[in-house]
Amino acid sequence: MENTTSNTTDREIFISRTINAPVALVWEVWTKPEHIANWWGPDGFTNTITVMDVQPGGQWNLVMHSPDGTDYQNKSVFKEVVPHKKIVLQHFNPNFTATIQFEEQGDKTHLNWHMLFESEEVFMAVVKAHKADEGLKQNVEKLVAYLQGLK
Amino acid sequence: MKARRDVYQAIADPTRRAIINMIATEPHNVNAIAQKFDITRQAISLHIQILIDCGLIAVKQQGRDRLCEAQLDQLSEVSMWVDQYRQHFEKKLDAMETYIEKLKKERDGKHNK
Repeated sequence: MENTTSNTTDREIFISRTINAPVALVWEVWTKPEHIANWWGPDGFTNTITVMDVQPGGQWNLVMHSPDGTDYQNKSVFKEVVPHKKIVLQHFNPNFTATIQFEEQGDKTHLNWHMLFESEEVFMAVVKAHKADEGLKQNVEKLVAYLQGLK
Repeated sequence: MKARRDVYQAIADPTRRAIINMIATEPHNVNAIAQKFDITRQAISLHIQILIDCGLIAVKQQGRDRLCEAQLDQLSEVSMWVDQYRQHFEKKLDAMETYIEKLKKERDGKHNK
């Protein structure tokens, strides 16, 4: 008796924000490895981007290095790339589809970020993993502070 | 050794989620639930017992029937953790904004020189 409707609310996350920067710059920090390495991933982590081929079918492989020395492999494939407008990527293990939309609003950019998990099991497993990581919140805050300190 | 019994354990299994969905709208007796699934009655009983242990089902004796009623308050704990996970991505955007501000400053600095 599985729910067969197309209701996806139990396995998706949607966030949006208006960024105080023109769309060209926001697009740049999302699509250039030398930029995204500086802000992607939880805190205290460093990122090594091995492949980032921003075009449909292109791969995006990155390794997040945790403060305790554990490496986390992240693999995604770009499904759709519309410059200054839209990125759709399929992330593997955990499997989810991320859609990032960029809306030009004068010299600001409105960002819509939607993540749809393959199944509720996958989604809950990821949520639980975050629950397990008690230090996560502080870690992310530390990262923000670190970035602010960079000149 | 006591098995872990919380709301996450309860909803980790698709059959258990289907049972919760089924009884969320109206209470069902154990037989009615078992009939809806393609697994043994014994397996269904076990799932129901886990849901009871996790506090998501209350059983009421009604005549000869054992009526299973959903107790959904605890699911709010799940939505709380989902919100926290959402916060993780909000923090990512915070980090991105901070990085963009830094980049803008650097580039302005270069133009001014």
